[in-house]
Amino acid sequence: MPKKLTVIPEQCSGCRICELVCAIKHFGVNNPKKAAIRVVNTYPHPVMRMPIVCSQCKVPLCAKVCPTDALRWVEGIVHLDKEDCISCYKCVEACPFGAIYAHEDCDLPIKCDMCGGDPECVKQCPLGALRLIPEDALGEPKRVNNILSYTQMKEIEFYEKGEKKTIHYAEIGEEEL
Amino acid sequence: MSIKSGYFKKSLHVDLTKGSADRRALPDSFIEKYVGGRGFGARLVWDNLKKHNYKIDPLGQENLVVVAPGPLTGVYLPSSGKSSFIAISPATGLYGDSSMGGGFGVDLRQTGIDVLSIIGKAPELSVLFIDNGEATIIPMPKLKGKSCLKAEGIIREHLDTRTAHVATIGPAGENMVKFACVNADWGRNAGRTGIGAIMGSKNLKAIVVRGHQDLPVYDVNGLMVESDKAYTYLKEHKYFRMWQQEGLMNVIEYANEKGILPSYNFKDSVFARHEQINGATMLADYKIGDSACFSCSMCCSNICLVKNGKYTGTVVEGPEYESCAMLGSNLGIDNFAAVLSANRLCDELGIDTISTGNLVGAVIEGYEKGILALSDLDGNDITWGDEDAILELISKIANRQGIGDIIADGSRRIIEKWPEMDKIILQVKGLEQSAYDSRAGSSMALAYATSDIGAHHTRAWTIAKEMEEGQDWSDEDKTETVIYHQKLRPLFDMLGVCRLPWIELGLNERHYANFYKYVTGNEVSLEQLLELSNDIYDLTRLINTRLGMSRKDDSLPYKVWANPPLTGPNAGKVIDRDYFQKLLSLYYQKRGWDENGIPQARLENKFED
Repeated sequence: MPKKLTVIPEQCSGCRICELVCAIKHFGVNNPKKAAIRVVNTYPHPVMRMPIVCSQCKVPLCAKVCPTDALRWVEGIVHLDKEDCISCYKCVEACPFGAIYAHEDCDLPIKCDMCGGDPECVKQCPLGALRLIPEDALGEPKRVNNILSYTQMKEIEFYEKGEKKTIHYAEIGEEEL
Repeated sequence: MSIKSGYFKKSLHVDLTKGSADRRALPDSFIEKYVGGRGFGARLVWDNLKKHNYKIDPLGQENLVVVAPGPLTGVYLPSSGKSSFIAISPATGLYGDSSMGGGFGVDLRQTGIDVLSIIGKAPELSVLFIDNGEATIIPMPKLKGKSCLKAEGIIREHLDTRTAHVATIGPAGENMVKFACVNADWGRNAGRTGIGAIMGSKNLKAIVVRGHQDLPVYDVNGLMVESDKAYTYLKEHKYFRMWQQEGLMNVIEYANEKGILPSYNFKDSVFARHEQINGATMLADYKIGDSACFSCSMCCSNICLVKNGKYTGTVVEGPEYESCAMLGSNLGIDNFAAVLSANRLCDELGIDTISTGNLVGAVIEGYEKGILALSDLDGNDITWGDEDAILELISKIANRQGIGDIIADGSRRIIEKWPEMDKIILQVKGLEQSAYDSRAGSSMALAYATSDIGAHHTRAWTIAKEMEEGQDWSDEDKTETVIYHQKLRPLFDMLGVCRLPWIELGLNERHYANFYKYVTGNEVSLEQLLELSNDIYDLTRLINTRLGMSRKDDSLPYKVWANPPLTGPNAGKVIDRDYFQKLLSLYYQKRGWDENGIPQARLENKFED
């Protein structure tokens, strides 16, 4: 089963190690601006650090706009064919996540190729914000986070027969997952 | 020997008066001798000082501000996001520098330069935009009075760039508050020695950098292997996870336990309600996320949010130990939400949390002792833990209103106006002391006294080691430890990396010589690098003594001699004046400086060519 590179932004610290290792792996240079994954920071409203990387969509909009069919989805990865690509950067604009990048020095768009199935960024992320998980387990971290947010919630208000009531939850403690 | 890699071998010199920006070549001999960061800065400041006949008004046009990342900034190794800001400090009138984390230095390097120097004064409030190869000075008078965080947002919007890094000053910098800082990436500060005031005096609101060049590395694979070793070491350290979670906030507990936590303006060195402002409290009720500098796996910074009470909605990057101690226990504040709010206010206004906390504490004590009258405080009563009055005073300092106008000029001006405050304020050379009590450890006292920028722990931080094993230390051990620290710690600022992996998690310092080797291609041992760092220490000493400093300035705050902490493990301890002088003489002797603390004439020729 194909695996997905997923991002858990709540756990990202914005250290950008993923950017560095990606650029080193693919271009052999220390230059975070040549990475196929970038951390976007917003502050203060909302505070968010979000690594943006290709989702390897099964219906890739980038491929749809590609005039030379250089982008093709094969076994879970949207491949960029170096021979066919004409560097028009239509895909960069078409991607709804902005997850394809361009750099002055590079002839081709910079796009995540999952390092052939074993992404370097996932291995090096110090906080586990990047994970490689099977498709059927997608959304699991979100579900777990959601449960966690409930356990921290000490009371819940609800209405029963028009009457306002409160349930109190016991705190579960700080066990780590 | 030539420099093979690791540098662009270019500097950018900006003259705001002329509106010019030119790139200059950096000769190999210069790079080899000064390495980068604070090393480059010290030499350029020294050259400028000579050019002006050793007379520089820190807030005058002629003061040169140097912004310098190091050769290791931005490459793949633990915590490589540091850059230094160097100039003649308005707080001390002597050499001053301060370093900043985040990602500003990385993009500055990626524009293709190793060092940026700025001189002159822009005709109106401006922004310096370095976009890859091009540097332009853009007038933006409308930014006047905008807070650091707001200005950063406006500048990004205006220059149409979300990916650039913006180092900006706030209202305090514009008003030339002598401890104004430079703020980048929404909460990273080059806090100390008042670099923000110098930018304000130059009408320079912000430096914006956006670069995309490859960072030169001699042996990418070698570096990768070495760095992976270092990252793995950190990851497997038993305290690594604790650092990720609490970061520097864990030091509050430690400092309280050891009796070095400043409280009530250093009247005491333990704080009874420390549990209300420590890391555990932060984790339980306030922390909403981690924050890291570039390429750092330790992510010692936190993002906190106040969820209820009167400060609801306050978001802040931080606090770290110094801010929390100086704005918390040192002011008698036990409400963590108020500490966060004060920290956020300092970030917005662009003032140093350490100096601010120190001076506000001194004002409260001065008022308590009757040195300051109610009329001096503009009729506003202030006391320990009075959150509203303290927050208001912080705003008054940054905006130079009422008594704030005097406090804004730093400890020297306060002492000039109320001479008795000399016994209340903790400062060395005009720079307010940071948050480690030195009465318990004579080596830490020596470190504060001999630090080139004033009472800051960045040059040597021997207190922890002395607490653990220093009871048996001889005078030799003490001076040697201080000197070793003063070689190694500034070396991190020269290389453009953070020292926390070494000092906190014990990453072997030999890694850094290897990193330097793989990045530059030059075989240099750690000992050789330490010697280069030591030369810079001599150079900053030369700058300071040329500006009139001597042995009498290597002194300590009055409280350290005379007022022992009231309670805690170090109750009753002070530093003996005669003993300290003996230690100082030994220190000079080991450094090869004369009895008056002046470096020998031989040094002067060392920094010619």
